[in-house]
Amino acid sequence: MTARAVMKQAARHRWGYVFIAPWVLLYLVFGIYPLCLSFYLTFFDYNFINPGDQAFMGLGNWAAGLTDPLFWHSMFNILYNQVIFIGLTLVIGLGIALLLQSVTRFGRLFRTIYFVPTVVSIVVVMSIGGYLVTPGGPLQGYLLQSGLLDKPVFWKSELWLSMPILALINTWKWFGIETVILLAGLLAIDPQLHEAAAIDGANGWQRFRNITVPMLNPQIFFILVMNGINGLQMFVEVYMNFDLYGGMYHQALTPVLYVYAQAFDKSNMGYASTLGLILAAIIAVITAAQFRFAQREIE
Amino acid sequence: MLKAIVRPRRIRWGRVVAYALLLLGAVVVIYPFFYILMNSFKPGTEILHSPTRLPTHWVITGYRLIWSQLNMPRLFGNSLFLALSVTFLNLVLDGLAAYALAKIPFPGRGPLFAIMLGTMMIPGILFLIPTYVLMYRLGWVPGFQALIIPGAVSVYSIFLLRQFIQQIPTELVEAARLDGASEPGIFFRVILPMSRPALGTVAILTFMGSWNDFFGPLLYLNKPELWTVQLGLYQFQTTVPGENAEQIWAAISVITAPLVLLFFLLQDQFMAAFANVRFK
Repeated sequence: MTARAVMKQAARHRWGYVFIAPWVLLYLVFGIYPLCLSFYLTFFDYNFINPGDQAFMGLGNWAAGLTDPLFWHSMFNILYNQVIFIGLTLVIGLGIALLLQSVTRFGRLFRTIYFVPTVVSIVVVMSIGGYLVTPGGPLQGYLLQSGLLDKPVFWKSELWLSMPILALINTWKWFGIETVILLAGLLAIDPQLHEAAAIDGANGWQRFRNITVPMLNPQIFFILVMNGINGLQMFVEVYMNFDLYGGMYHQALTPVLYVYAQAFDKSNMGYASTLGLILAAIIAVITAAQFRFAQREIE
Repeated sequence: MLKAIVRPRRIRWGRVVAYALLLLGAVVVIYPFFYILMNSFKPGTEILHSPTRLPTHWVITGYRLIWSQLNMPRLFGNSLFLALSVTFLNLVLDGLAAYALAKIPFPGRGPLFAIMLGTMMIPGILFLIPTYVLMYRLGWVPGFQALIIPGAVSVYSIFLLRQFIQQIPTELVEAARLDGASEPGIFFRVILPMSRPALGTVAILTFMGSWNDFFGPLLYLNKPELWTVQLGLYQFQTTVPGENAEQIWAAISVITAPLVLLFFLLQDQFMAAFANVRFK
């Protein structure tokens, strides 16, 4: 290479660094630094209003966090919610994707309608959803009238009903996006696979079980990972409908709500940081386990 | 039910059942929106006593009340300012980073990209407390800068744009270089115009994320002059049954309508944006 070409290349590389600089800078300041700060804070009893009197706690926050019954209760609550939510959205999303694939007309119209709740904010969805299922609301009114319910259900103060109802409302909001993802997967399956299996005498259920589901594995895996990372961090849904500790039985306390309560209600920034890190570690383990499992499935 | 779904062509009934179920789904999705709109035009007593019926007296009390109780132009102005600033910054800064990662083979590019992919998996909760502490120390709370500056870049959008820019033929970029175009010139005159679909996706996802965000404004814009539409709506959320009944439905309608209209106008772009979603 001539000296001139080398200089030109160096100049171009310099532009590369310039272009990447805003991201790198913002990432260092608002990504790496907070991560380090978070880890540092876990060793202190830190109150950001009086930053002067921070007391070193050693591993005290970690010991307290790992044995905090409320934190584990919140972990249980969110898993309870997510099992119901993931089950419902997968079954409904897949069912509707199959229906959409089978019809020839109006498919596009239906898909558009199902997608509308996705663009609506959670605050709006929770305001509507929470109202529709409230005692005295239209849904319960109908169920009472038709005799399916014998007395009004105050779901926000029911130990076992709060989380399933939230899961139901979230299902309404999110099933459309899963339908779109799963439908894209269904359309990518080679129809010859089904034809060949049909000739071999496989019935509809067998083809669904042995062709459709395995071929949709990448989409299902993606949905599970996405829910693992986002779903376990539920906050607005419970913040809007319950007090900061998730209702009278703590039945709607989620880990992030608990972190928020510790940080902004109790001003325990150090302890809140610790709980946040524990939750992040749990999410990382679950995500890694999903990847490991998916890899084994492929092999 | 499954048989009907899998073999709709053989049995005519299958198709009838399929359409019936799809229609049922559509009703379940549309009904709440219909309910909101109907109740937003009722007087308070009707909302409480006959919530499911059509209004017998069509009134705009709810809309009047939210107009007088909240500074609506302010709320919309704030939300729009926030969402547009974040979207604009992301389009330019993410675009630049994506172009460098896709077409300029500077030393260290590979490891940088690997780090970036790794950070996409980090749950947001990790940043909640330390970022708040940092913003508080910087004196940015409450203030728009606490949301705009960290939100000016998105790893996910860089990733999406890089995927797209990689497909642009390198010969085009090389030809522009031979013609003496500078790297910024190539970016603005060649890359940006050719990346319109991907930029559209990024714009939709960023704008929607910002417009619908509740947690960020709750933490960093907790002052009535800085409220966004979502925080404004939240003010009517109450534990007292029947209170604010008129305002809630009118406020929901006003806040939701722009985004739903935008969705119907750009539905293909919206669906493509979400169908492309990979590990977020």
